[in-house]
Amino acid sequence: MTRGTATYIGQRLVLIAITTVFVSSTVFLLLHQIPGNAFLNETRNSPEAVAAALHHYGLDLPLPQQYAAWVRGVIHGDLGESLINRGVAITPLLIRETSVSATVGFFALLVTIGLGLILGVIAALRQNTWVDYIASSASVVGYSIPSFVLAIFGLLIAGHYLYIWTGGTFYYVPGWGKPEQIPLPALALGLPYAAYVARLTRASMLETIRTDYVRTAWAKGLRPQVVVIRHALRNSLIPVVTILGPLITGIITGSVVIENIFGIPGLGKEFITSILARDYNIVIGVFTFYAALVGLANLAVDVIYPVLDPRIRY
Amino acid sequence: MAAIAPLPQPDLAATYEMPVEQVSLFQDAWNRIRRNRLALVGACIIGLLFVTAIVSTFWTPYPVWLQAVGPTYQPPSLHHPLGLDQAGRDILSRIMGGASITVQVGVGSAIIVSLIGIPLGLLAGFYRGWVDTVISFFINIWYGIPDLLVALILVFVLSDALHLIPRGVFVIVLAFSLTRWMDVARLVRGQTLALREREFVEAARMSGARDFRIVVRHIFPNALGPIIVQATFAIPAAVLFEAFLSFLGLGLPSPTPSWGAMASDGYHGMDFAPHIVLAPTIALSVTLMAFNWLGDGLRDAFDPRMRH
Repeated sequence: MTRGTATYIGQRLVLIAITTVFVSSTVFLLLHQIPGNAFLNETRNSPEAVAAALHHYGLDLPLPQQYAAWVRGVIHGDLGESLINRGVAITPLLIRETSVSATVGFFALLVTIGLGLILGVIAALRQNTWVDYIASSASVVGYSIPSFVLAIFGLLIAGHYLYIWTGGTFYYVPGWGKPEQIPLPALALGLPYAAYVARLTRASMLETIRTDYVRTAWAKGLRPQVVVIRHALRNSLIPVVTILGPLITGIITGSVVIENIFGIPGLGKEFITSILARDYNIVIGVFTFYAALVGLANLAVDVIYPVLDPRIRY
Repeated sequence: MAAIAPLPQPDLAATYEMPVEQVSLFQDAWNRIRRNRLALVGACIIGLLFVTAIVSTFWTPYPVWLQAVGPTYQPPSLHHPLGLDQAGRDILSRIMGGASITVQVGVGSAIIVSLIGIPLGLLAGFYRGWVDTVISFFINIWYGIPDLLVALILVFVLSDALHLIPRGVFVIVLAFSLTRWMDVARLVRGQTLALREREFVEAARMSGARDFRIVVRHIFPNALGPIIVQATFAIPAAVLFEAFLSFLGLGLPSPTPSWGAMASDGYHGMDFAPHIVLAPTIALSVTLMAFNWLGDGLRDAFDPRMRH
């Protein structure tokens, strides 16, 4: 890590902070356009109770003051408390849920990159054979099927039909907490992107394996796995890494619907639940988390980039 | 002294195949796309989608909202080829109505995304300097946000909380476009940066054309190919966004036959009536596939070098 890299990472962190503040402020200001009473649930009827509740959340203050208080809180890592469940602090809740979402996202990324690379490399090495045709057709179809459709098909097959076929001995139960509940959501979330990665890898691999340096590697009698993995694949990875950023954003946003389908208690489920329950404080909090996550994921990708392509320096 | 025998003149016309006629960008693209089978299949499916969308505005086998045309959850039969849903509505009619929604969302978004992205890209690319700095800064910021979720919040705030715009196709298109204009803007900016240095722009400037004329008459038409490609890719993204919203119950309101909402309806009865969830999800997947195939085909056709 050179000094340049450190400066670069520093600059990016500043930009991420700006983006996060920008996004969550926008959401804060948007949601605070809604009349203050709507922030409270309907059970408190008497004007005194409403006034007391508004005062408790600081919603009776002018908007600039509310905003300043909120920004002060965010800087100290405090995102406020839930509007529906009074006294529930949002930050610890969201940190707990982020770890759940991150687990799903990690395995989805594993599916995306692992399966995508393997399929792409095999298809390129066996170009114009039936292996290539099957892998290419699967990826050309696969990357258009949205993950929530895959999730529904997965639930239908693994939850419903597997139950019937095995007579109820072996099937998938939606939920979270057991290791066997991880693969299905991860596959649903990762497969469309895996198909995309496979297409990219195949195309760039086809170019790379025809270059002179790979021919040289073959000619000097290196073992096939060394030629493919260390010489050819490493350079073919560059276009794949360029799409990793949007891909991770896609996995993060895609997890919203996946978590709701599979009943996974992560950020995405919290997000939708809070919107429908109108718990705006949590919605703003989730947004702050998402914006930071997306920024950090993109930064991580850009830091990996020069490792693969030493021509790039910051 | 004998006259020097004239050298045999090569028959130029036979040796070099002279270009018979000038081929325009669009003819050239058409010639290439004709040979791309996947893109043609995509185009056919899209054609079918548009025809269905138009037909469904005048006629569907049953009204899309009409409940209890038969027993609820009825599986596919001769009268109802795709069966009936949980309210006893004819699913085929609703799929047809959904095609119309899909077309409106997709085409509307492609247009609005272009209307936002093209002027910004042209401005940034043509004037460079601080204009470019500001626009590029916003493009970068916008790329860093979870776009779908911001769009979701926009739809929610504009229609549900503030009641500014009724929950419908327009608010979805607007929210999508406000969060996804960067792809077009970035592309147009890049094209403009390259085109503004070309000789024909210099020639136009020499002949006294104003900036506006140069941008609109000389730069924009030359960037049109890639813009069309980018706009085509906005369509499946918008369609997916609408399905995503409606599936979560935050999209189009209830009797509207949105494929996402239909999938959500069917999802709850999946264990005993899988036909309800299968019809809209398959229709949605096939549509997205067709647009992606056509988009890929168009991209290869307009610029064979710009392969992914």
